[in-house]
Amino acid sequence: MADGTDQVTDSMSNLSTGDPSAAEAPSKNALKKELKKKKKEEENRLKEEEKKKKAAAVPQSNKPLAADDEDMDPTQYYENRLKVLALLKEAGTNPYPHKFHVSMTIDEYIEQYKVLSDGTHLKDVEVNLAGRIMNKRTSSSKLYFYDLYGGGLKVQVMADARDSDMDEVEFSKYHNSVKRGDIVGICGYPGKSKRGELSVFPKRFIVLSPCLHMMPRQKAGPGAENASNKNNEVKTTSDVWTPGMLRNPETYVLKDQETRYRQRYLDLMLNHEVRQIFKTRAKIINHIRDFLNKLDFLEVETPMMNMIAGGAAAKPFVTHHNDLNMKLFMRIAPELYLKELVVGGLDRVYEIGKQFRNEGIDLTHNPEFTTCEFYMAFADYNDLMVLTEEMISGMVKALTGGYKIKYHAKGVDNDPIEIDFTPPFRRIDMIEELEKAANLNIPKDLSSEETNKYLLNACEKFDVKCPPPQTTTRLLDKLVGHFLEETCVNPTFIINHPEIMSPLAKWHRSKPGLTERFELFINKHEVCNAYTELNDPVVQRQRFAEQLKDRQSGDDEAMALDETFCTALEYGLPPTGGWGLGIDRLTMLFTDSQNIKEVLLFPAMKPQDEPSTKG
Amino acid sequence: MDALKVWRASAHLLSFASRAAASSRANVSFRVRCCSSSAASAAVDLPAPKVAPAKSDRRRRSSTSTSDRESIRAIRLKKVEELRSKGHEPYAYTWTKTHTACQLQDIYSHLVQGEECKEDLVSIAGRIVARRAFGKLAFLTLRDDSGTIQLYCEKESLEDQFEQLKTYVDIGDIVGVKGSIKKTEKGELSVYVKNFEILTKSLLPLPDKYHGLTDVDKRYRQRYVDMIANPEVADVFRIRAKIISEIRRTMESLGFIEVETPVLQGEVGGAEARPFVTYHNSLGRNLYLRIATELHLKRMLVGGLEKVFEIGRIFRNEGISTRHNPEFTTIEMYEAYSDYQSMMNMAEEIVSQCALVVHGKLDIDYQGIQISLQRPWRRETMHNLVKEATDIDFFEFGNNLEAAKKAAKEILGGRSENKDSHLVEACPSVGHVLNEIFETIIEPTLVQPTFVLDYPIEISPLAKPHRRYKELTERFELYICGREIANAFSELTDPVDQRVRFEEQIKQHNDKRASLVSNSKSPEEEKGTDDYSYEVSLDEDFVTSLEYGMPPASGMGLGIDRLIMLLTNSASIRDVIAFPVLKIQQ
Repeated sequence: MADGTDQVTDSMSNLSTGDPSAAEAPSKNALKKELKKKKKEEENRLKEEEKKKKAAAVPQSNKPLAADDEDMDPTQYYENRLKVLALLKEAGTNPYPHKFHVSMTIDEYIEQYKVLSDGTHLKDVEVNLAGRIMNKRTSSSKLYFYDLYGGGLKVQVMADARDSDMDEVEFSKYHNSVKRGDIVGICGYPGKSKRGELSVFPKRFIVLSPCLHMMPRQKAGPGAENASNKNNEVKTTSDVWTPGMLRNPETYVLKDQETRYRQRYLDLMLNHEVRQIFKTRAKIINHIRDFLNKLDFLEVETPMMNMIAGGAAAKPFVTHHNDLNMKLFMRIAPELYLKELVVGGLDRVYEIGKQFRNEGIDLTHNPEFTTCEFYMAFADYNDLMVLTEEMISGMVKALTGGYKIKYHAKGVDNDPIEIDFTPPFRRIDMIEELEKAANLNIPKDLSSEETNKYLLNACEKFDVKCPPPQTTTRLLDKLVGHFLEETCVNPTFIINHPEIMSPLAKWHRSKPGLTERFELFINKHEVCNAYTELNDPVVQRQRFAEQLKDRQSGDDEAMALDETFCTALEYGLPPTGGWGLGIDRLTMLFTDSQNIKEVLLFPAMKPQDEPSTKG
Repeated sequence: MDALKVWRASAHLLSFASRAAASSRANVSFRVRCCSSSAASAAVDLPAPKVAPAKSDRRRRSSTSTSDRESIRAIRLKKVEELRSKGHEPYAYTWTKTHTACQLQDIYSHLVQGEECKEDLVSIAGRIVARRAFGKLAFLTLRDDSGTIQLYCEKESLEDQFEQLKTYVDIGDIVGVKGSIKKTEKGELSVYVKNFEILTKSLLPLPDKYHGLTDVDKRYRQRYVDMIANPEVADVFRIRAKIISEIRRTMESLGFIEVETPVLQGEVGGAEARPFVTYHNSLGRNLYLRIATELHLKRMLVGGLEKVFEIGRIFRNEGISTRHNPEFTTIEMYEAYSDYQSMMNMAEEIVSQCALVVHGKLDIDYQGIQISLQRPWRRETMHNLVKEATDIDFFEFGNNLEAAKKAAKEILGGRSENKDSHLVEACPSVGHVLNEIFETIIEPTLVQPTFVLDYPIEISPLAKPHRRYKELTERFELYICGREIANAFSELTDPVDQRVRFEEQIKQHNDKRASLVSNSKSPEEEKGTDDYSYEVSLDEDFVTSLEYGMPPASGMGLGIDRLIMLLTNSASIRDVIAFPVLKIQQ
């Protein structure tokens, strides 16, 4: 294997003479552009310098070599690199070696050698590191500096011809062919520069996977690299983003949202905070899993394709099974299947998984999203409120160390708010509070025509918009949104929803017309929805029938009857509390994300008019 | 139940034999990631399973007729009304348990016959599964999540409630009881009931354990009934959770991060299989359900997440069988700076860890066959395995496709009356011929865990070329009990090569489709045509991501359902999926 990579190294350097990208005679225009750009950069840099009031240490002006081919047209750049690859292959060399043995991660390397004193070189130690080159600085033909990134962390590479196993000419040729963005492997020794920067000094330096495209620039811009070294240093140590802290994607190296979401790998590569979002997401899910496992819940998997899309009210995706010639719907909720398992005797079950809704895409909606639902036999909604408080506040504590998080509720341009997760959470009774807040006196029989008229009037009076169909359910929903949800910034339970709004929830044990249900709102958005489950099959059938009425009056989001589920209830569902949580929305809160796309690796995007441009 | 298992086991073995002898596959399945299914897999099933449900269906109808059911429901609905009129809600809101049945059995196992613990008040809840009532005494059996316990009900201690119990409690009801503990004279540990409450009134009779649930079809359609009648069914799902949790634990301890990639995709890739198609209203476009997670996870490697995995659902629009469900669960994992050799260690680690968690040992029984998961597992190249079995060295054919086909037909001709010859004839390359021979002759014989290495490049469009043999790739599949459990390779990182391979894959697909359309005569062949009637497109964005540079890496996909089948000794994938897809009921 070592032979293989050696070969690569050799031929790479041999061929770099034929590297068209090394053409260092740019066109007149390009020269002008370059000059202009440089001037501007120089100005920017000076300004920055002043701002920081850093004493002395005037950065060396960049040598022309460093300008490299960064100002080349991207298509030209790409084609040049393709040519280099083709030449390498022609010469019988694989530019993509099969294996490079990595002896430690960059994280481990920093951990182990950060204690070195300035100027120390451990020449007898050999380490093998690998990662992506995100910065290249040419000091001379015998000395190259690189920033090597791996696992979100950076270490400096100081490639000195004297350390290399190549001769000087070879060395220079090889390193000229190395581009920003390349993935490289380094066999070398650890050390610290005199200025105290932890570095690795390569004896061998192997490109493992070349980057064929021009990488978007670091925000500091070229020329400022030497100067910004120290700043980067500070950034990577004390300014690391953790959950609950503020974030501002507008300061990212790669800002363009379309590119960030469509080419998430670029986003991850260039905006180091982004990987923390997805680590936070994984931590949130792990926290939920641990919490439920400790309570003896069993994780299960139920079908994502159903004959009937039940368990919620939403437009489903439709697909077709060819072999069985069967129409199938993508699930909109796992609720009915999970309850069937409780009927079957699994007293505590949960499922974390994707749901699918054929709805529009906006800041809080993606066609597929992740939820956790759990069902707990012999518990009711009171028990679940306590569990919810424990789970969510415990999660905030575990992620952030405290109960308060900061969040840009009104966008990054406005002051952030603070959200306090200290338990217990506020509880407000839906109808009671609505009547108080809007000074209403809603007729007791919520399913009556009279109530519908009353609420219609109320909506008009307060200028609360409710596009048709104006069913009582929808009118109430809009009023609650306007008067109550708006007040729910810190976690708040809105409880005891009317029966007509909650076809799967059990009627309230003491309040006629209402159900034992709660929704948890945080920052005015619903995060949890739970209830004492309706387990009387006769009443369940009636509720489905009422939904059908709403359907006929044009509300196509009313629930469909699931006969299999009703039959299951006839075998007896124990008293059960059921609970659902939107994992994406929770992740948004803890990562200061205003757009759901920030927390999805590959969000659904509208089709582009033109094929995606390279780079 | 036992008889049924034996029957299913033998059917299973028969199907092995039939596959070896007369595989009715309509094509060479072109597998890319794990557990791809052969297109005509449903046809592999013997006709026997289709007969069985019909038989037991008849039996079911004779045992509990519809009118019985309806009359029982009517009687119980009346009980519901009566309970309500007496002020008892037959659908209670909550119940606080102090113990589970199993805990009580453990704590009080020391009691001697006739001994009582009057001071210990316990509270439990569960379903009544048996009931014997006498004049002033009733014995009920209550089952909860953990096990069963007897309820000892006396008129003397229950007073008025005793009559209510005798009148209103039926088998199937869920009740909560409070009482003390007593071991009866006969030695049965019981809760000496002081107080009970009907928590949920059941309306339908439970099936008779010994007759009702031999109905295979109903077992899957109404899984909850299956679980009530056969509590051991739930154990499979408990083990399922344990296995997945163990896999997750193993991955996380190795520093892998779990991610979620989209199910709905603009174009499918990462495998060759017919996808499900759906339509997104507001985007106004078709979307496909993923057939693999590979291409998105590899983008994560490009993005700098060096160890990633995803456990999730995959969808393939193919026939159903004992080994295939349209949606199934896999884990795919990708690790930068490793190659397929290290993935073999990973596969050994995961499978043996799971076996230890489930069985506590590495020698397990699967449908009567002893499987040894002791490491190391056999590692052998596909070429050598074929050579071993047939004395033919496929290396000798070079690019001579005709010679390879001729040799293959001779091998298969001797074994299966030439039924496979048209499949061989359709092979576009020597690699495909080799694979055909491998799948037909070798696969069923790989009972003990075996890594099959170094697949031909023509059938491995996402694998890196072998570092020594240009016509091969660095790829392996893991076989246990004749089934593919895992598929892995050193990942192809060269974007130029990747584009060529994708184009070749699409060309193969289209050629196949074209030739099937022009040649189809019999209905069976038309079905084959249908299997290729979908479009395959090139994932440009994935190739672009490779152009940004993906570190050398290896990846593996492992079929979790099949692993669970193996470790729970389940003959059919339907036994390990709570709600399998079934044909529409007539």
